[in-house]
Amino acid sequence: MADNIQRGEEFEKKAEKKISGWGLFGSKYEDASDFYDKAANCFKLAKSWDKAGSTYVKLSNCYTKLDSKHEAAQAYADAGHCYKKTSAKEAISCLEQAANLFLDNGRFNMAGKYYKEIAELYELEQNFEQAIIYFEKAADIYQSEEVTTAANQCNAKVAQFAAQLEQYQKAIQIYEEIGRQSLNNNLLKYGVKGHLLNAGICQLCKGDVVAITNALDRYQEMDPTFSGTREYKLLVDLAAAVDEEDVVKFTDAVKEFDSMTQLDAWKTTLLLRVKEAIKAKELEEDDLT
Amino acid sequence: MSEVFEGYERQYCELSTNLSRKCTSAGVLDGEEKHQKISEIEAGLEEAVILIRKMDLEARSLQAGVKAMLLAKLREYKADLNKLKKEVKKITSPDTNQVAREELLESGMVDAHMVSADQKGRLAMSTEKLNESSDRIKESRRTMLETEELGVSILQDLHQQRQTLLHSHEKLHGVDNAIDKSKKILTAMSKRMSRNKWIVGSVISALVLAIIFILYFKLS
Repeated sequence: MADNIQRGEEFEKKAEKKISGWGLFGSKYEDASDFYDKAANCFKLAKSWDKAGSTYVKLSNCYTKLDSKHEAAQAYADAGHCYKKTSAKEAISCLEQAANLFLDNGRFNMAGKYYKEIAELYELEQNFEQAIIYFEKAADIYQSEEVTTAANQCNAKVAQFAAQLEQYQKAIQIYEEIGRQSLNNNLLKYGVKGHLLNAGICQLCKGDVVAITNALDRYQEMDPTFSGTREYKLLVDLAAAVDEEDVVKFTDAVKEFDSMTQLDAWKTTLLLRVKEAIKAKELEEDDLT
Repeated sequence: MSEVFEGYERQYCELSTNLSRKCTSAGVLDGEEKHQKISEIEAGLEEAVILIRKMDLEARSLQAGVKAMLLAKLREYKADLNKLKKEVKKITSPDTNQVAREELLESGMVDAHMVSADQKGRLAMSTEKLNESSDRIKESRRTMLETEELGVSILQDLHQQRQTLLHSHEKLHGVDNAIDKSKKILTAMSKRMSRNKWIVGSVISALVLAIIFILYFKLS
């Protein structure tokens, strides 16, 4: 692999010479960009991601001078992909520049895709607020392009993180919206109960009992089949348990549901929060009485 | 396997003939010796009960056809044993009334014990089978729910792919239009080019003719 690095560096030097030297017919940037491209390729083969990334950045600079924004944006995107393997921050900055260039160009689809990638990188870093911001941007773009599925997916992620950050109202609204939209679609209507369950759990976390019962009625109206599902039974049981502040009942209902289908980590975290809230209320009441 | 059963059978036959002999001899005797004989007979009866139980287990562990035959034999032996017990009772207690009462109450005992043990065993087995089947039903329900979830996610993927396909369909239409436009532009360009060529050609020929004309006039 060492010779690949060598070849890459040769190409890079040639490119730089071209830029700094005399250029006939003003074609120097084009030749230089060719050389940069080859150099970056060699670096990728040699798996030296940093060098490849930096070469791609230089490449995109060339393309910007040549006024071909599309190529520049593509080069930034490639740079971002290379940096993903090493440092996430560089990757994020490159991808952001790429997304901005695509927006300028009017290629909203690609911009949305790259915003989504950035948000996923933030998610890996557990930086949820930034992730929410970028997922929202991506969802807006997808919505304007009428690509509803991708928009819904991004929105679902926004709601997930919002609930983890305790922004329950937002999460509830998003989940209900997704549920409503999915009802009209033959393919998606089987996923509606999943979304309504998530919305219901967020309602429970908020702790407002009246709102929960109202919400359950609303969901009933939205989707007549919802009341037959196990999810609805679980929500009803949990709401009753929260109302009576009975931890044992709560745990029983959760265990029953879990024995059929495993609860995933997100649901488990939220339900744990609700349980803690109930316990805290119980202790409070014991203190008062 | 039935050799074991046959072994037990032989033992039982010996024991029962022994006991019946002892019974008859004890009936003749009196007092101390009678009590001695009676205790011997009772020990023998207990052995016989144990033997019958062992034979029962053996018979159940065998196959159906052999089992039925052996169980029939076993019932005969049980009846035999009961008769012996009755005899012993008659000998031990001279009071006929008491003897009759005890006969009434105890006659079914040996069999009843076995029968209830039998029933208990069968009950345990059927309860176990019911539990097993309910476990299996729960398991299959779980699998079904997992499959349903899988189905839902597949549907979502399909939806997305459908949108991608529709999108690319539209794009292709757009590309089609663009190609038509560019074709028109290219034809216009080529027409203009040929027009220019003709103009230039005609101008050049006109100039050349003019030069020849002038030269002609100059020289003549």
